[in-house]
Amino acid sequence: MKYLSKRSFLGSAAIVALSTGAAFAQDMPFEVGEGDFQWDSYEAFAEQYDLSGQTVEITGPWTGNEKEKVDIVFRYFEEATGANVNYSGSDSFEQDIVISARAGTAPNLAVFPQPGLAADMASQGLLTPLPDDTADWVSENFSAGDSWVDLSTYEGEDGEEHVYGLFYRVDLKSLVWYSPIAFDEMGYEIPESMEELKELTEQIVDDGGTPWCIGLGSGAATGWPATDWVEDLMLRMHEPQVYDQWVTNEIPFNDPQVVESIDEFGWFIRNDDYVRGGAQAAATTDFRDSPSGLFAVPPTCYLHRQASFIPAFFPESAELGDNVDFFYFPSYEEKDLGNPVLGAGTLFSITKPSEATDVMLEYLKLPIAHELWMAQDGFLTAHAGVNPEVYATDAQRAMGEILADATTFRFDASDLMPAEIGAGAFWKGMIDYVGGADAESVAETIQNRWDSIR
Amino acid sequence: MDNIAGHKSSLSLVTNLAVLFLVVVWLIPTVGLLVSSFRDREQISETGWWAAMFPVESAVRTRPEPEGVRQDGDYYVLEGNVFEAGSGSVSGFGLTGRDPGAADVGETFAWYEVEVTEEDGELDDKRIEIAYPADGEPEFPEATEDGLPITPGSAVLQRSLTVAENGDFAYINDGEISRAPSLYVVTKQPPDFGWQNYRQILTSDGMDRAFINTLTVTVPATVIPILIAAFAAYALAWMDFPGRGWLVAAVVGLLVVPLQLALVPMLTLHNKIGIGQSFLGIWLAHTGFGLPLAVYLLRNYMMGLPRDIIESAKVDGATDFQVFTKIVLPLSFPALASFAIFQFLWTWNDLLVAKVFLPSNSESWVMTVKIADDLLGSRGGDWGILAAAAFVSIAVPLVVFFAMQKYLVRGLLAGSVK
Repeated sequence: MKYLSKRSFLGSAAIVALSTGAAFAQDMPFEVGEGDFQWDSYEAFAEQYDLSGQTVEITGPWTGNEKEKVDIVFRYFEEATGANVNYSGSDSFEQDIVISARAGTAPNLAVFPQPGLAADMASQGLLTPLPDDTADWVSENFSAGDSWVDLSTYEGEDGEEHVYGLFYRVDLKSLVWYSPIAFDEMGYEIPESMEELKELTEQIVDDGGTPWCIGLGSGAATGWPATDWVEDLMLRMHEPQVYDQWVTNEIPFNDPQVVESIDEFGWFIRNDDYVRGGAQAAATTDFRDSPSGLFAVPPTCYLHRQASFIPAFFPESAELGDNVDFFYFPSYEEKDLGNPVLGAGTLFSITKPSEATDVMLEYLKLPIAHELWMAQDGFLTAHAGVNPEVYATDAQRAMGEILADATTFRFDASDLMPAEIGAGAFWKGMIDYVGGADAESVAETIQNRWDSIR
Repeated sequence: MDNIAGHKSSLSLVTNLAVLFLVVVWLIPTVGLLVSSFRDREQISETGWWAAMFPVESAVRTRPEPEGVRQDGDYYVLEGNVFEAGSGSVSGFGLTGRDPGAADVGETFAWYEVEVTEEDGELDDKRIEIAYPADGEPEFPEATEDGLPITPGSAVLQRSLTVAENGDFAYINDGEISRAPSLYVVTKQPPDFGWQNYRQILTSDGMDRAFINTLTVTVPATVIPILIAAFAAYALAWMDFPGRGWLVAAVVGLLVVPLQLALVPMLTLHNKIGIGQSFLGIWLAHTGFGLPLAVYLLRNYMMGLPRDIIESAKVDGATDFQVFTKIVLPLSFPALASFAIFQFLWTWNDLLVAKVFLPSNSESWVMTVKIADDLLGSRGGDWGILAAAAFVSIAVPLVVFFAMQKYLVRGLLAGSVK
């Protein structure tokens, strides 16, 4: 007999929790001047600029449902300034932007999903630095502002360092997803420390269940979910400085501290009892399909570590706070390293300067530009001036709190490493490791690769 | 001779079986894609397409709203039907997700709190789960699963559930039922197919525009290279001029140059001469990328035409242009058709060239870009949409292929039989 949860049955469970963009189909769903939004600055902004007849071309990685949401944010900009905003999303943004920048058909603004590529393009002179006062503004107005300034400061073609990007939208990675119903029925408690999480893992196995759903598959990018695991564990086992040295290769990839973190990841994934389908299946399971085990009846797993965007891939029966919820991927009690948080984010960079482009960047500094997307769900921000009341759901607000409570915030290391490592050797190395290779030899292979590209 | 026509070789059976096997192997992925195109993302990630045709026995969680709860002594009773739609057939049920089929229909599944004697002699309360016929009385075991003796008569009902085959249930709880309880039933699910993926693709905003854009790209991008290549092929095949061999070699050499190398330089060139990102630009690009193969294919075919015909035409005073239009072109029709099919399919399916040479706004999206960048969502994963989109975008090429197929076969065979 097969027990599987089915969607189109027993309608009560099939309330569509993750509302698609259709609900916001209208152009300007939020009345200016109403709600918890900070309209004052918006109205002052609208008074100040008149860009009638000008156009801002923007390309970015947001497509489909996310494009609809960001289009609404831009719609308010159009309304305020009279300019036209032309946003187009691309599934293969990373390749497209390089081609169009080289060929001279670049849009005004590009939204980079990871700083590595932006730094690359800045060094080739394909990006224009942001105004000089941006750094001060970001460090004053963003929580953990200085780390955001560092992440957007690159060396240009002239060898001088400038701020090349403005971060807009943050993803939170240090989250563990679980089903409160399953926890309730089995009497499990949310672990407060890594030690407790490991105990819980063992307890679930003792109770005859499988604790973790892990999916590393992602087409050509297969392996990246594993790099997030290792990065999260790095932050929990070692000082943040060690993490920074690791990212810049000041300490080699096969440093014992890194190998230790990889082996700690191995504690979870290399045990066939701990992972749904066994360690080998994890490498081939698509990360998008992986969380479905939380919703299966009986549950085929109880825990799933993944970033804040994953609810987009939950089954339609999923309802945040009801049959699925999350907790902070805890830190070790025995190590006194605070509560580190791993994240990622997208940044706006100028690929073709114009007056309207500068005004658009000013607009993105306003709290309202962030609040307009926050209210549509699926958006976290590092902007400290936004009103948390605007968050569309309690879950989003709780994620915002995790971000605010973080004692350390570090950006996804694989996004900061050179592409050949962070988007190549590291991914492949993790797949080899999951497949049974030795952590030390995997780390050594990655380090050799790093040496060879210098 | 043994192998003359009319005599069946014993190997022919093996050949037929081998062909059949290859056809089946070849078809499996396509059939799978077709079946998947009628299923949604969740179904695809849950079961393979081969399981899609059969009813699946599966367990589901149901959360009936706590409406009409009545009090019965110390207990609260909630009654209703697990099927929201009203009909269905239950084969098992339970109170926990871990064991959703713990009891059979017609039984009552109950949690009792009992008093047990621990190994050290102390008394303790434990929960036991028992199933018994709905019209009968519970029979308590003498010991728990761990082997601890149960004090007779100590059982106190905590919670029970009775489910009939038609889905009617009675849920009894020792506390007030304020939240929707989680009940689990095992039931047969009919196979679930739907047109929702196709509907979503065909009715999405701008699909008509994308379709027209694709045609706007594809038709000229097929016709222009054929026109140019036919002239070039004739010259390379039948006109004598110095360096002809080298020119042919250069064309063959160009066949191995990957078009990705030319993307950036060509786009830069287009910008300099003022074409920019436009339909004219993509026609030129497709023409350039298609020409080496077209010239090579057509030249080889034209070389194979009988020399006598062309020479007699020339003796009769025909110019090269007349020979080309009156003799070579009609005779080369099969080769032209084969190349037209190739070029049409390739430009129809193209994503990369369209993304580079067309503006990125949604008015200029061709179908492939529309599918990849709009319908699939930010991180992909909507396999059902992808499968359905494959079949939608395959429709026109199929029509083209079947309309021109007879020429394709003739083109491949031409010259082999005198």
